Amino acid sequence: MTETTAAIDAEQVEAAAPSSRGLRFLHNAGWTLIYLGVFTLGFVVHQLYVTSWFAQQNQSELAAERVEQWESVEITEVVVVPNQPDGTGGVVDGATGSSGDEFPEPLILKVESPPDLGAAFALIRIPKLERLDNDGWNVVEGVRTLDLRNGAGHMPDTALPGQPGNAVISGHRTTWGQPFHELDALDPGDRIEVETALGTHIYAVREVHVVKPTDVWVADPREGAWLTLTTCHPKFSARQRLVVAAELVFGPNAEVIEVMS
Amino acid sequence: MIRRTWQVLPGPLAVRVVEAVVLTALVLVALHFIYSWLGTVLLDQGGTVG
Repeated sequence: MTETTAAIDAEQVEAAAPSSRGLRFLHNAGWTLIYLGVFTLGFVVHQLYVTSWFAQQNQSELAAERVEQWESVEITEVVVVPNQPDGTGGVVDGATGSSGDEFPEPLILKVESPPDLGAAFALIRIPKLERLDNDGWNVVEGVRTLDLRNGAGHMPDTALPGQPGNAVISGHRTTWGQPFHELDALDPGDRIEVETALGTHIYAVREVHVVKPTDVWVADPREGAWLTLTTCHPKFSARQRLVVAAELVFGPNAEVIEVMS
Repeated sequence: MIRRTWQVLPGPLAVRVVEAVVLTALVLVALHFIYSWLGTVLLDQGGTVG
């Protein structure tokens, strides 16, 4: 840069800079607002597009991981004796258990080994929702922040999908791939499919309600086999939770669980 | 601000370009973490209960 150019630049800067104190304040306030606007715009773009891009990349990796998990998972067969009017019956530990002569024909409940925390182990499909139709969305074990950025998260210590009890799966509503974006479109009777190493478990929606984020009762065990989906509500807010409860109607264990109930 | 930052970067032009690229990457990574945290706090916590 020559001396002349430098002198002109300096003059221009001096001329552009506000002279009075009030003008300087307006000048600085204006630039602060512009920076805040750019920061906010960046935040919106990040939440709507960047997080979804990351989630899509993670889904591709999780799909491969899930297939590997299905090949290595251990499946145990548990003998179940149907409940009797006198209160007898129930689960007989071990695959070779016998019900004895006084009991009806025992049934076999298939149980898969629990997945590792953070591992992909299931695929959820909801035919009514465009986002979860066809390819579905991978489900990982755990509901930590990082788990839910990868896929929908199965709450540990709740039943696995397709097992007796209440399997709870949570997912993002508006960011990180927004798998449960349209969950409020579900009505009683709508179908939810969850595929695990055992096969495809089909649930029918029974209840849709809105609760507080602290309402942990939605994860309580239930008689029969249930699937509870939870997500943030309303959209773009974490103020409440939208909860969809669905009952198992078809699948590898559906008949056995119905008899057990 | 960008111009001022460019002017204070030390070294010859090629070095300054590398420094600018590294600096930009660092700023983007920092923004990603800040935005992710803000999004979790303000918009969507992943739908968990409890």
